[in-house]
Amino acid sequence: MAGTAPSGIERPATHATGSTEQAEISYAEALNQGLRQALELSESVIVLGQLVDYGPGVFGSTTGLVDRFGPERIRDFPVSESAMTAAGIGVAIAGFRPVLVHHRLDFMLYSIDAIVNWMALWRFKSNAQSSLPIVIRAIVGRGWGQGPQHSKSLHAWFAHVPGIRVAVPATAFDAKGLLLEAIFGENPVIMVEHRSLFALKDRVPTVPYRVRFGRAAVRRSGTDITIAAIGFMVPFALRTASRLSTLGVEVEVVDLRTVSPLDSETVITSVKKTGRLCVMDPGWQSFGASAEIVARVAERAGRALRAAPVRICHPDSHTPMSSALELAYYPQEDAVAARLRSLAAEG
Amino acid sequence: MSALSHESILKAGRYKGVKVGTAEAESAKAILRFMIRLRMCEEALAREYHPADEMRCPVHFCIGQEAVPAALSVTLRDDDYLFCHHRSHGYYLAKDAPMDALFAELYGKAGGANGGLAGSQDISFPSRRFYSGAILAGAAAISLGAALACRLRGGSQVAVAGFGESATDEGILWETLNYAAVAKLPVIFVCENNNYSVFSPQLKRQALDNISARVASFGVRSTAIFGNDAMEVQRTLSREIGLARAGQGPAFIEAYTYRWSGHYGPESDDLVGYRNAAEIEAWKQNCPISLLEEAMQKSGTHPRAELEGFRREVASEITRCFSFAKSSPFPAVPDWQALNFAAGSPLADRLLAEVELADFDAQQESQQAKGY
Repeated sequence: MAGTAPSGIERPATHATGSTEQAEISYAEALNQGLRQALELSESVIVLGQLVDYGPGVFGSTTGLVDRFGPERIRDFPVSESAMTAAGIGVAIAGFRPVLVHHRLDFMLYSIDAIVNWMALWRFKSNAQSSLPIVIRAIVGRGWGQGPQHSKSLHAWFAHVPGIRVAVPATAFDAKGLLLEAIFGENPVIMVEHRSLFALKDRVPTVPYRVRFGRAAVRRSGTDITIAAIGFMVPFALRTASRLSTLGVEVEVVDLRTVSPLDSETVITSVKKTGRLCVMDPGWQSFGASAEIVARVAERAGRALRAAPVRICHPDSHTPMSSALELAYYPQEDAVAARLRSLAAEG
Repeated sequence: MSALSHESILKAGRYKGVKVGTAEAESAKAILRFMIRLRMCEEALAREYHPADEMRCPVHFCIGQEAVPAALSVTLRDDDYLFCHHRSHGYYLAKDAPMDALFAELYGKAGGANGGLAGSQDISFPSRRFYSGAILAGAAAISLGAALACRLRGGSQVAVAGFGESATDEGILWETLNYAAVAKLPVIFVCENNNYSVFSPQLKRQALDNISARVASFGVRSTAIFGNDAMEVQRTLSREIGLARAGQGPAFIEAYTYRWSGHYGPESDDLVGYRNAAEIEAWKQNCPISLLEEAMQKSGTHPRAELEGFRREVASEITRCFSFAKSSPFPAVPDWQALNFAAGSPLADRLLAEVELADFDAQQESQQAKGY
């Protein structure tokens, strides 16, 4: 391997099992805590992004890091997303573990060449001699008029490309655990973070811990319908499940947590039990994650389906600014609950 | 700023400026040997490429452009990083990566530098800190990060990026120059201006042929030189790399040169009509190897007797490399997953705790904060 890790680093964490000290903190605070602990654990970790060293700290996720770790490691970067991503690749080649931050995923699209033509295939074309431990945090807006250039959740795009891992954490616990796993793993990771989740609180262990990629979480058990949900559709799915439960429909909610790798096994196991599948994907319907999930279930457990699958996605349209149209664009709980109630009656 | 340009070079005719100082005899000899070895290597590959058709990948030959890689080969340290464009063979050898693995890579064989996965235009040799790639300016931009790593480590390592003037058509190069300047990173950009983006000349693509002046306006030390004067290239590189090692920030060197062969492959593409025979001939008169040999003769440092043996050694090295490449097996069908993704996370295993999945309260309202 060409890169050597910087000297004098890596203090081992206390390996906790079972009951661990926890604190109730928000998704944004969990990201901040994860970054802080990663920066403490290894001098190879650095953060690059616009305004990461100012007080607001990318919605709180980087606040205070510069005071502790200094401007060499917490680097404000010009609005040059292509060069920033390329710099991330170069610094990773040389043994560092950069975390790149984009206030909105839409801005990182300038760096698609660096991501697809260089980062994704670096390991492949080196014949596995050189890996790139890069994390790209990409935040996605929803609501408050974010409009078509502040709201695209392109997790399916990135998951389509070999060589990139893609996480879409739905909870504060996962935000910290997936971030740490990504930083100290060996693959490039794009972490799609939904801005509307940043204030959600969760009990989060105070130690640095990991959430493994490709292991979905069953957030609620049920016997009638399986919901496979991604990102901000996970809390939506859980609320819908509570409502349906009062109507006698028991829904199992699978939070996929990462879309590359995609844990189809957990979804298929659930579908074999319920016989009904609904995929909730916060992205466009056509050629997206929902199509992949339905296809995998059809291939491996098609005969277990008692009813045609239902997809709750965004229309194949760009996001409107107007709050009235946002209501029409994003799935609404009443309509989705009604749709699932009728799904439960099928088959 | 120098008024050097492709036009002025052609007007000036045969170049007379190569100087070999008394203290430079050894480096001149090393540069000459490197250029001869590279030229012989490229000519041998070009002869073999067609009609044998066993090297089944696009190859961009660098015949005529030997001076920059040669100067790099005597200036870079083992721990420096080198990134380059698709015309990669000279840079690969400049980092002292093995010729047999280069040949086997072109043949798509398991013994290739990248097991036959990359080929000529994407070849790398990570243990020698050498990397290339075909998308223009992409590798140059990556050098920014390697330079950032050098800076964060606090040593005197540098990163060097070699690319053609067509890379300055790409926006990412200017983003890269800007950040290198503002962060004062130890990176040296070497622009081999060979005038052509495949067929299209610089002045058809850019309003002014003043790349080095434009770069200077970014706050990067910038020099334009005649890039077939290998000694001048070496002196410029040595000065700029020395400054970068000493914390003086990035530099840009625009080295005017010319490729003799077509854009890719061994055949001439002159039938396209994008350049004329007189121009090619004028540049052949400015061959970097013969210019240096002439200067060494003048200064009495030409290693005539030694070179004869050296050429024989290189010829047999090339024969050996061909037989290595041809006898190396094709790669086995890989485990695609393992090739594209690292399976283990040894650092995460060591540093991160395993914690049971916590419950999650889904009844909280999730919504976008007001404003941004």
